[in-house]
Amino acid sequence: MILEAKHINKNFSTPKIHRVLDDISLTINQGELISLYGESGSGKSTLLYILSTLDSAFEGSLKIHGQETTELSPKNLADFRNEHIGFIYQFHYLLPEFSVLQNIALPAQKLGVKNKKEINADAAQLLEELDIASLAAYPTYKLSGGQQQRVAIGRALINNPTFIIADEPTGNLDEKNSDLIFNILKDITERRKNTVLMATHNRKFYENSHRAIEMINGKLRL
Amino acid sequence: MSKYPFNKTNLYIALQYLTTRKKQTILAIIGVLLGVATFIVMINFMTGVNNFLDDAVFKGNPDIVIKPISHQKTNKLPFSIGPTTIENLEEISNELEANENVRAFANQTISPAILTSNYQQLPGSVNGIFPLEEMHMVDLNKRLIAGTGFSELSQNNIIIGISLAKRLGVSVKDTVTIILPNGKSTSLFVSGIFSFGITTIDNVRTYMSAKTLQNLLGLSKNITHINVKLKDRNNLDLKSLLLQQSKEIEIEDWKENNKTIVIGNKVRDILTWSVSLALLLVAGFGIYNIQNSAVFEKRKDIAVLKTIGYSSSDIIFIFLVQALIIGVLGAFLALGLGYLISFIISITPLDTSDFIIVKTYPVNFNKAHFILGFSFGVLTTVLSGYFPSRKASKVDPVTIIRGV
Ligand SMILES: Nc1ncnc2c1ncn2[C@@H]1O[C@H](COP(=O)(O)OP(=O)(O)OP(=O)(O)O)[C@@H](O)[C@H]1O
Ligand SMILES: [Mg+2]
Repeated sequence: MILEAKHINKNFSTPKIHRVLDDISLTINQGELISLYGESGSGKSTLLYILSTLDSAFEGSLKIHGQETTELSPKNLADFRNEHIGFIYQFHYLLPEFSVLQNIALPAQKLGVKNKKEINADAAQLLEELDIASLAAYPTYKLSGGQQQRVAIGRALINNPTFIIADEPTGNLDEKNSDLIFNILKDITERRKNTVLMATHNRKFYENSHRAIEMINGKLRL
Repeated sequence: MSKYPFNKTNLYIALQYLTTRKKQTILAIIGVLLGVATFIVMINFMTGVNNFLDDAVFKGNPDIVIKPISHQKTNKLPFSIGPTTIENLEEISNELEANENVRAFANQTISPAILTSNYQQLPGSVNGIFPLEEMHMVDLNKRLIAGTGFSELSQNNIIIGISLAKRLGVSVKDTVTIILPNGKSTSLFVSGIFSFGITTIDNVRTYMSAKTLQNLLGLSKNITHINVKLKDRNNLDLKSLLLQQSKEIEIEDWKENNKTIVIGNKVRDILTWSVSLALLLVAGFGIYNIQNSAVFEKRKDIAVLKTIGYSSSDIIFIFLVQALIIGVLGAFLALGLGYLISFIISITPLDTSDFIIVKTYPVNFNKAHFILGFSFGVLTTVLSGYFPSRKASKVDPVTIIRGV
């Protein structure tokens, strides 16, 4: 068990106070690819932001890798996120000033465990696995959507995090590229034993995941 | 884990941002450059002028001059045409000896006189001095253009101002005859020629032995003026003290006599600081704007950096270091430019005005001005870069990621 969420509640106060997450409890094990699906507005993204420690304004308990994250200071939370959590968004959010390789290397440089040479070797290895090795020196704005999303996956993987959060990672891609990204995500859970929690509207994907959880009106149907 | 925000990765990101926004970066650097360079040039020039005037006017003149009240008729010599003299000299001398704020004082006997050379006859005045005392009043050796100063002044010598010497057509070792109001006259050798750079002094002032002058005037041992140099020139308590003790004297002080210069110095100081601060403010505001828009443009990047584990202090550092680099570069270049412009001013010939005589503009190349300008420039940029940086650190990644 690498993640354990207990009794998570979340309210928004605008336009009026309303409950968006209602008593959510969830455990995740290593090597799983879990899909979260459900109607638009049901609270999937809101939950993912909480589980990824980006949003700490909630009630309940969130234990990741044995650490109760609600007890961490903002600074320690940032370090924790760097080490344990990878992100993939619907929009690719790469840094345009940096090359493909540099984008992938950023989280590892922040972690500061390996030296630059080792980090670059790791990044090159990931590019190879993601089949975009030839793009290493490209500025990211020259890449297609599918290529950019693969770079984002590389960036999420570089520190070999405890788990990866992906919020509609294929939401912005055509079918061919969507399939490619999904297959990569599934592959890394099975081959590298990474763990992925993904929100998606694509039925083909959530039915092909190891576990699919529906979200209805802020509650999980387990 | 890189514990401190000051690390290579953050520095690298900051540099990357700076270099991809070359135009804004260069503009910001130029802003600081101009602000700091102007500050340095202005302060060099203005303090140069102030120091020059201080030197010429205050160092060449006593801080306080004690004279007898001019319209008062002395009882001793009711029909004398000679100058009035100070009666209670001993009393005043004792007071001056005792006063804490007095650096030195010197007695003088001053008389109007007509000076004649082989070519000219001009009105002027003669300062009868006691060389050993007068040396503490005026640093004449620094002002000498030809000949010798007070230490060599003998009973039949005269030292005269450069303008007067020119008009009389005399140089060192020539003879000048003085004719006093009582009709007595004597011939003196010119032993020195001085220039204070101030027309009103160089045009009329002459120095001769007080003893010679007193003998001619028939006023043996009598003194018409006491010149005083103060330790603290701004403390003029002594003046009121002396005036209380004696009703027969009047006192001039440097402030009164040089009102225009004192005011001019103040105006120059105010001008220097206000213009410099305004320029630095403009430069600072420019950096504030540039950094603010950079933070706005980069808010997505900031959100991403935060999601991958960069903390608020990392983000502050990344943006603050950009401002710091701009500030240091701009201020550093400004040292060179400031020096160059100051140098050009310092070698620019100046047309002699009626008031001062100087060949080029006075410039005060003080190291402290350069250090001050540099520090001001860096401080301004860091201050104006801080607020946008803090704003950057407060970017909420959830809002940004959700917002697209
Ligand atoms: N900052 C906010 N302030 C107020 N309400 C919010 C805020 N963020 C989200 N909500 C509301 O919370 C609910 C859940 O939103 P969320 O984005 O989690 O849904 P979702 O399941 O991810 O939807 P989608 O499938 O469209 O991405 C929605 O009703 C949304 O309007
Ligand atoms: Mg969503």
